[in-house]
Amino acid sequence: MLKDYLDRDIYNLITKSFSFSDITEIRMRVNENLIVVVKNKKYYLKDEAGEFVKVNSNMIENFVRRASENSIYAFNDNIVNGFITLPKGIRVGLCGNIVTDGDKIVTVKEFQSVNIRIPHVIRNCSLSAFDFLVGDDVKNTLVISPPGSGKTTFIRDFIYQLYCHNISKNVLIADERNEICSVVNGEPNIDLGGFCDIYTNCTKKFAFKNGIRSMRPDIIVTDEIDLDKDLPSIIEAINCGVNVIATIHAKDINQLKKKNNFDKVLDEKYFSRFVVLSSDEGPGTLTNIYDEKLNCIFCR
Amino acid sequence: MIKWILIIVLIVVIMLIAYSVSEQIKDKYDFFNNLKLFLNQFKINVSFRQEKINEFLQKNNSKKQFKLFIEEYSNFLKTGELNLEKIKVLDDDDKDILQDIVKNVGKYDAKNEINQMDSFLATVDVKLVKANEDKNKLCPMIIKLSLLFAIGLAILLI
Repeated sequence: MLKDYLDRDIYNLITKSFSFSDITEIRMRVNENLIVVVKNKKYYLKDEAGEFVKVNSNMIENFVRRASENSIYAFNDNIVNGFITLPKGIRVGLCGNIVTDGDKIVTVKEFQSVNIRIPHVIRNCSLSAFDFLVGDDVKNTLVISPPGSGKTTFIRDFIYQLYCHNISKNVLIADERNEICSVVNGEPNIDLGGFCDIYTNCTKKFAFKNGIRSMRPDIIVTDEIDLDKDLPSIIEAINCGVNVIATIHAKDINQLKKKNNFDKVLDEKYFSRFVVLSSDEGPGTLTNIYDEKLNCIFCR
Repeated sequence: MIKWILIIVLIVVIMLIAYSVSEQIKDKYDFFNNLKLFLNQFKINVSFRQEKINEFLQKNNSKKQFKLFIEEYSNFLKTGELNLEKIKVLDDDDKDILQDIVKNVGKYDAKNEINQMDSFLATVDVKLVKANEDKNKLCPMIIKLSLLFAIGLAILLI
């Protein structure tokens, strides 16, 4: 899977020590030890002699070169947003020297760290929440968790479950960072069932506005919303009769309450379900489900 | 009779060598002409379609020496190793320019990539002018001199 992108030696060491199906992250930071995250535990990669593998800038540069298929210009729209998406939904987060022209970010150079996130499709991980989120209709749902706690995995599975449960709703996926569907060369790398239309690498505003006009969605699914920026699009969609399933970064419901505009969300009851996930028992652990008045209707 | 046959063979061999040398000069001109075209097309690609280099290379239908370059370029993208020795028309300076191109294209965002292409194009233009001059001056001269040399040699042998 990562054979074409990592240095051969590194790839061999990783495959020798770990199973790729268990790895969730590989972290490379210049002049630091290479870290492999397996089931939420961090391990330093060791070489044949038992020494920790230290990352150098060449390793990172080579990785980015291969990940961008020697064509930074073709990936720059993503790179300025700090990521590249590889086949099979592998998401590569990038940190480096940001080049700006006035207020505009032109590109990123001299990459300092790379976070390779390997997605896992965990079938049925949303099943325990499914009945709470689907009644007569699919409820407007906000999925809440800190980064890396399985929000995207959850909504992927939820979309798939809708399909499996023969709920033949048109699902429009506003996949701003190409994380949900991992579309590469026009083909989604993740099976989300047969009712999905996908916008990738575009703003949520664009996807919501144009999607409602042209694709007649019943449900819009989107990842990592910013209440300040994206709430108007969400309100517009809900007022058009389209259900919205979205995710947001927050540790729990109390932290979410502190976010700007959340009062408005509560007052106007834009979302009728709030699903809280954590990493307590691995990413995607369902912790709580709240209704529109923030009454807990499911507690682990 | 054998003497005449030998003289004719000698003339033919000399003319073939002269033809081969002049073809190499023409091939060098063609190579840089193709390179210029390639860089211009790549510049347009970066501005609009933004196909990745590999996809862009696969669409190139060049013949002869430039085809070898495209093959080597594709190989470099896979292995990281570049071998330009196969391309006979290039001298060391030409190889340096090609190495520079191959190793730097694709490293930047679109705007800087285009700037880089312009810089490469300026270098290639200088090479192209020189190759064109060589083609126009040297090729006819080589053929004429070789013919004179062959005839002279034939007269001496007779």
